[in-house]
Amino acid sequence: MPAHKIIERLKDQFGVAIQRADLPGNGRLFVFVDSAALKSICRFVFRDLDARYVTSIGSDDRPYSDSFLVAHHFAFDRTGLLCSLLTHLTGNPPKVDSISKEVPAANWAEREFRDLLGIEPVGHPYPKRLVLPDGWPEGKHPLRKDVAWNFVPEGYDEDREFAFDEPPEGCMVIPFGPFHPTLDEPAHFRLYVEGEMVRGCEYRGFMAHRGIEKLGESVLTYNEIPMAAERICGICGCVHNVAYAQAVEQAAAIKPPPRAEFIRTIMLELERLHSHLLWVGLACHIVGFDTLFMQSFRIREPLMWMAEKISGNRKTYALCLIGGVRWDFTAELKAELQQVLLKVEQEWRAVVEAVAGDRNLQKRTLGIGVTSPELVKNVGLIGPVARAAGVDIDCRRDHPYAAYDRVEFKVITGTGGDVWSRLLVRAQEVFESIRIIRQCLEKMPEGPLQLQLPDELPIGRMGMSSVEAPRGEAHHFVITGENNRPRRWRVRAPTYQNLQGIPAMIKDQQLADMTISLGSIDPCFSCTDRMEIVDIRSGKTTVYTQEELREMARRKVL
Amino acid sequence: MLLETWLVQLKHWMVNLFPAGWQPGVGSLVSVTVILGVFATLFAVATLLERKGLGRIQNRPGPNRVGPWGLFQPVADGIKMLTKEDIVPLTADQVVHFLAPIVLLAPVTLAFAVIPFGRKLVPIDLDAGLLFFFAVGSAAEVAAFMAGWSSHNKYSLLGAMRAIAQMISFELPLVISTMAVIMMSGSLSLVEIVRAQDGGVFGLIPRWHVLTPWGLAGFLIFFTAALAESNRSPFDLPEGESEIIGGFMTEYSGFKYALFFMGEYFGMFAVSGLATTLFLGGWHAPLPFLDRTLVPSFVWFFGKLLLLLFVFIWLRGTLPRLRVDQLMNFSWKFLLPLALINLLVVALWRFTASWPLAGRWALCLVALAAPFVALGAALMRHRHWKPRHYRYAR
Repeated sequence: MPAHKIIERLKDQFGVAIQRADLPGNGRLFVFVDSAALKSICRFVFRDLDARYVTSIGSDDRPYSDSFLVAHHFAFDRTGLLCSLLTHLTGNPPKVDSISKEVPAANWAEREFRDLLGIEPVGHPYPKRLVLPDGWPEGKHPLRKDVAWNFVPEGYDEDREFAFDEPPEGCMVIPFGPFHPTLDEPAHFRLYVEGEMVRGCEYRGFMAHRGIEKLGESVLTYNEIPMAAERICGICGCVHNVAYAQAVEQAAAIKPPPRAEFIRTIMLELERLHSHLLWVGLACHIVGFDTLFMQSFRIREPLMWMAEKISGNRKTYALCLIGGVRWDFTAELKAELQQVLLKVEQEWRAVVEAVAGDRNLQKRTLGIGVTSPELVKNVGLIGPVARAAGVDIDCRRDHPYAAYDRVEFKVITGTGGDVWSRLLVRAQEVFESIRIIRQCLEKMPEGPLQLQLPDELPIGRMGMSSVEAPRGEAHHFVITGENNRPRRWRVRAPTYQNLQGIPAMIKDQQLADMTISLGSIDPCFSCTDRMEIVDIRSGKTTVYTQEELREMARRKVL
Repeated sequence: MLLETWLVQLKHWMVNLFPAGWQPGVGSLVSVTVILGVFATLFAVATLLERKGLGRIQNRPGPNRVGPWGLFQPVADGIKMLTKEDIVPLTADQVVHFLAPIVLLAPVTLAFAVIPFGRKLVPIDLDAGLLFFFAVGSAAEVAAFMAGWSSHNKYSLLGAMRAIAQMISFELPLVISTMAVIMMSGSLSLVEIVRAQDGGVFGLIPRWHVLTPWGLAGFLIFFTAALAESNRSPFDLPEGESEIIGGFMTEYSGFKYALFFMGEYFGMFAVSGLATTLFLGGWHAPLPFLDRTLVPSFVWFFGKLLLLLFVFIWLRGTLPRLRVDQLMNFSWKFLLPLALINLLVVALWRFTASWPLAGRWALCLVALAAPFVALGAALMRHRHWKPRHYRYAR
């Protein structure tokens, strides 16, 4: 459904509640709606127009419009349209109707703006603290504009513990995490088990907060943020780097030169390659199949070396600036990358052929952690998890960015929706990635890498960008602002949505399958946890300056 | 003949240095020292072989830094283990925590006493050697429980529970598969069982038990159950680190941890030795006429032992870990019925002794293959578990 048709239908249905609609072109739609009608409009868009829920964003807009801003993002994947429903909230404290009952996927995002901005989602089914640490006092909202980035609240209670829910009757509680050998990052699941069966769970995460969004809005500048964005995730950092740059470029109506777009595409695919190989290895390690773990890491290693040759780093490629990329591909690098791809393709094909019929591996993964297409829709699952359930979505094709509209590739889908089909989908996507990189190397035009930017980017514009990370769609939203930095920058990592599907996936199955079910979404907690205002300990420990640290290091050496 | 008997002669010479009253005691002491020395060395070699072999299977070099080709890696590991801090949790039961690794290792070492390592190398020829072997082998369960309980750690206890459930479940097929051998050889003495596999057809085809249909099935059942008994992959659930950290070994460090490790390997050696004795002809050479050559019989024995060890390592590099329920199903619904059916087959084999060989083979193979296929198909079928309700858990 094209954008103007959507606006028409919304106007037919809701009349004056639709205040304004902006169509900045290239697949973006911003609709300003009346806050009273927001809930029913969201339901209409989600259910009747069958849009996919992306995320919800709160923003403190008081310095500019004397109100708070709430945006619900939806995606029309068939027509390549990202749609944002925005509303201004004037009340104090600001209140907005919760959409979580209509759109279950919005559960976390609404709790997040409740924590960080104090916007109350009225009628939320589970209004519990999500992001802020346990000891953080009520009524302090770190993402508001009148709160400094290094703010430490009065009355922070280090010893307060998180109030967990009562487990259902007849169930035993088994803690899983925060520190567990299969979890590479901290996250805590409280599993309710009856015998060996998992009946439910409660999640307490957001333990790796770094306040990156707040920093981006108050300390860093436009071209410093890509560095911080890349460090959101240790595996798919380049995704956030590109997604941020694209969101700003989109807001400021800048189009990077084609060569830069091709280089971005290559690096994103290179990242997908190594991430998928890493995942297959880790998943096999979880089910106790260390041989395949070793094999996939061996196959992955040349890719890491290649990335180091290209960018100077195995990870954190430091690729993007607003309006282009920072470094070039030489002819030698191209030739070498071709060689590496050939080797990886051959070796990976051998592994996939060996694994595809392996009944022992199937015994541990078939019918485990099942997701149905309904669950995918309701909880907003994305990436390989959605594709393995037969939901054919892929941002690279649906919302083309960088050079994806100029290359050919197949979107791999599965049927089972279980761990096994996720394994197959990821294994096959490796070949598609290799295909994409080859086409890019062939088609990459000569030309500049960087665009000459205007002195100041326009103020108050909005941009959003969806990038298909290895784990699913990473969504960035930017409102441009003064002082050479965005007014609001929101990151929605893929695991943020996929984690919300975990309780449904692990319900009524064996406790021993919990780890592989969780592992199968390729969880990335630091992505998900990206925002928190300050290190909770900085109020208590001494902050060392760089000089002091260097001094300490010297003393240690002597 | 000297090659064959030099060890025995050396022992006699040493024992004869002592007064007559001391001689039995000294003799045992010498045997014990030799067994411990040999198997501790084999332990060191096996760890290196395992890491090298796994590395080969997984397409990587394996340890190659310590000494030429990493040969001194076991020494380095030993020094590391010995010098590591021994941590005992504050809330642990100190005494039991200390005793558990010893309780694991001592009985496993005892099991070596009854295995005939060579023609003249039998530490003790017990009449009920096989019974003794299983009796001391079962003590491993006590050790696992002691370790899990005394650590005062949920994961340790879970691991111990898993280990005990697994060992008890697999002990049944393990023991029942050996009953077939007892039925044929008519003795519980391991020396007698080896003697029953003496000689061969035309001096070429040995009369090992594994070369009969019931022996082959028995050997496979025995070996599979032995894998589980020694907590080896793919049955390494008790220490499946992705699920329960390190199982009952979670709270162990330093040399106590090494002792557990050693216990696992000694267990592996013991069951491999027993499998060799029961099914693979013990110390007999693979071709009967080779028995009369200069090669000492214990070379054949240890050759077979190392071969079985290699299969242990090979399987570890090939198979993913099973899940708890799959493991239990495998034991109770597959291995145990097959082991019982194998007892029928061995009876068939015995009472059809007058039949032509081909007919006997065909009959026994059918009697084994039919339940194998049926049970296997039933086990591999994908079941949709319904939510269970526990009436008394509420």
